[in-house]
Amino acid sequence: MLEIAGLIVLGLIAGIIAAALGLGGGIVFVPALVVIFGFDQHIAQGTSLAVIFPTAIMATLAHSRMGNVRWELAIPIGLTGIIGAVLGARIALQLDADLLRRLFGVFLLILAARMVWHAWRVNDRSEPTPDPS
Amino acid sequence: MSSALLRALALGAIAGIVAGLFGVGGGVIVVPGLVLWLAITQREASGTSTATIVASSAAAMAAFGISGSIDWRAAALVLVGSVAGAWIGAWFAERVSERALAITFALVLAAAGIRMVI
Repeated sequence: MLEIAGLIVLGLIAGIIAAALGLGGGIVFVPALVVIFGFDQHIAQGTSLAVIFPTAIMATLAHSRMGNVRWELAIPIGLTGIIGAVLGARIALQLDADLLRRLFGVFLLILAARMVWHAWRVNDRSEPTPDPS
Repeated sequence: MSSALLRALALGAIAGIVAGLFGVGGGVIVVPGLVLWLAITQREASGTSTATIVASSAAAMAAFGISGSIDWRAAALVLVGSVAGAWIGAWFAERVSERALAITFALVLAAAGIRMVI
């Protein structure tokens, strides 16, 4: 019961951060599932993708209605994105969970440094831009 | 091929590898890539990025799903929360300093990153 409530709250917090900061859910889901819920790194990543996929569909419908999708760019990016994603996933699935977790940690540290750098440079009143990555 | 098309194809490949490798959407690569390489607005970059994530997350999800690496029950629960969270976040964004929120969140991410590296 506690775990059910915890997972819903995790989604809630990730959704708030994603919408308010224009960040994707994945960088919240994966570390939270690993650090707080004790998931294996591979299961955390797979589960994160299973949340991201329907979220991205809903967000795309909303953006598309507002005319914010440049399809002439989205289609080529999506096509090579599929190939890259399969390749990346196959590499991830071959890696040892501990090594993958450490690589993910390094990825988070790079993102955190980039966020701080941006927050310092960008005008504080700048408009947030949601996306469900 | 036009240079914009080539850049889009290259951007997709890089973002796709990151998405598949780390189980994220890839927006952290696609959004800045679109703004810096393809010179489109931040708003269009967000919208375009979400459309590309539909494709890359579907492909990566299929690969993880085939290997049995998805906890579908947990995914459904997290999804329920995140739909509600998106509404609250949009409301929140209007009222809170984006800089303060970004720096606070970056510190949380850094703490999680250190915890995962050790």
